[in-house]
Amino acid sequence: MAPLLTVENVTKEFSGIVANKDVNFEINEGEIVSLIGPNGAGKTTMFSMIAGALSPSSGSIVFNGEEISKKQAFEICHLGIARTFQVVRVLKQMTVLENVIVGALSRTNSVKIARGEAENILKVTGLYLKKDYLGKNLTLADMKRLEVAKALATKPKLLLLDEVMAGLTPVETNEAVELLREIHGMGITLFIVEHVMEAIMPVSDRIIVLDAGKKIAEGSPEEVVNDERVIKAYLGDRYHARS
Amino acid sequence: MNKKLIFLIVAVLILFFLPLIYKASFFIHVLILIFMFAMASQAWDLVGGYTGQISFGNAIFFGIGAYTSTLLYMHWSVTPWIGMLVGGVVAVIVALIVGYPAFKLKGHYFLLATIGIGEIIRTLFLNWPAVGGAQGIFIPFEKESFWNFQFHSSKLPYYYIILTLFILTFLVSYFVEKSKLGFYFKAIREDEDAAKAMGIHTQKFKFVAFAISAFLTAITGTFYAQYLMYIDPNSVMPFMLSTQIVLVAILGGMGYLFGPLLGSLVLIPLSELTRVLLGSSGSGFHLVIYGLLIMLISMYKPAGLAGWIQEWNFNKKKAAGGEVDGTTINS
Ligand SMILES: Nc1ncnc2c1ncn2[C@@H]1O[C@H](COP(=O)(O)OP(=O)(O)OP(=O)(O)O)[C@@H](O)[C@H]1O
Ligand SMILES: [Mg+2]
Repeated sequence: MAPLLTVENVTKEFSGIVANKDVNFEINEGEIVSLIGPNGAGKTTMFSMIAGALSPSSGSIVFNGEEISKKQAFEICHLGIARTFQVVRVLKQMTVLENVIVGALSRTNSVKIARGEAENILKVTGLYLKKDYLGKNLTLADMKRLEVAKALATKPKLLLLDEVMAGLTPVETNEAVELLREIHGMGITLFIVEHVMEAIMPVSDRIIVLDAGKKIAEGSPEEVVNDERVIKAYLGDRYHARS
Repeated sequence: MNKKLIFLIVAVLILFFLPLIYKASFFIHVLILIFMFAMASQAWDLVGGYTGQISFGNAIFFGIGAYTSTLLYMHWSVTPWIGMLVGGVVAVIVALIVGYPAFKLKGHYFLLATIGIGEIIRTLFLNWPAVGGAQGIFIPFEKESFWNFQFHSSKLPYYYIILTLFILTFLVSYFVEKSKLGFYFKAIREDEDAAKAMGIHTQKFKFVAFAISAFLTAITGTFYAQYLMYIDPNSVMPFMLSTQIVLVAILGGMGYLFGPLLGSLVLIPLSELTRVLLGSSGSGFHLVIYGLLIMLISMYKPAGLAGWIQEWNFNKKKAAGGEVDGTTINS
């Protein structure tokens, strides 16, 4: 079966800075794949290109057999890719429920149907009791949940999660991992950027490692943590030289 | 829900009978202006308050409405009622053309662009002899009738017409707010990138908001032309008019259904009274009061009068120990 997502030779330059350089990988339907790498490695840039917020300088991105690298974010959403934002982008002056209704309206014109779906999603994501809060009044942990809920409401086939666990307490992190499992159980393919390795290792089928814009490793969690280049990228050259 | 409906029906009945009880011509004149500005402001709020695109150029659409119906009437004796609808359509076309470059700009740049475009169009009309240039156009007096949209013996018919038009505009806003459009407009206002990520063709929906707004504003313009029986660029499309439309909405509360009406109820009587009390020597004084009010509102109650009332209601409920579903309050 053809992969759900194919990223081929993708490069992204920002006036001088190369955020991604000739990156290649595939994601198959039903997988949970994690994308890791040090700060500034180009993870968020890669997500933004897949989701259509940025377009690659060169290379191709194919989703479900369709070239999407030139498409706009709203079109890609309709094709079935949803993303959360690392720096949360909740709709601040709208309620939690309204935030999620907006997402659900991507699949229906009826506010009534969208409301029903949004309420279900809020139950799944554990935000139901706060449905009438304004977005801006949520705690960071809840804003991160709302990011997930909004994305989920667009009924994606592929969900891109950008550091939804950053800044969470251990208890909240465990809850977040549970939520990931639940979402995966709905048949949604997950592509996750995360720094909290302990949390993400056990649920990932595969891990892709970026460093300074380049893919330096790919494999099962065990393979990746034992990879020379990965250790070097995370701990730095000097440490590596001395050891 | 039902209580609200009863309140609305009572309010409409009062508005209907009010000028029959208190018949002073000046009083009716002020009422007419209140609803005219409430209508223009309500139309503006769809794009400004709901969609978050602050236009300081809506007087263009007002002027286009006034000019279209007047010119159609002068040249082809078309009833202003049809002229009104044609004016609305012309305004929509202009909105689409103006929106194309303007929506590429964000925030303050969009605002500045609308001011610039507004001034360009006004200057164009000032120097365009075929539309009366700076002299403007006097609409010839005809027999008073609904069809002619002219009433000379009383202002009352004008009042009922603008009241009806305002109520229709209010209903448009109401249905927009409850529908997918309303959710999409607000999402664009809150965060355009987040809106796009949730599948919203933001550019398209900004155009939709601008088009509805332009159509309704043009209708207000036709009404004003028929009410004054005279139009010129400085009375139907000045920057001051654009500003007043915006200020009414800011004072009343942007993005609140009742905001424009509340704002208009306060601002218009105030400006008309200062005009009357201070005469021509005080011309411009109402602007000082506007300025003060806007400063106070933006410093203390940025959500405007409507936001303030909502907050007050919320606190009252909370004080009464009632179930508060909210935390949805803006403060
Ligand atoms: N819009 C932009 N303009 C210019 N440079 C950018 C832009 N976005 C990202 N960059 C640069 O591209 C590089 C990759 O950034 P990116 O945000 O993709 O990294 P990341 O892997 O997500 O990092 P983090 O773990 O800190 O989130 C960085 O050097 C960053 O400064
Ligand atoms: Mg990042």
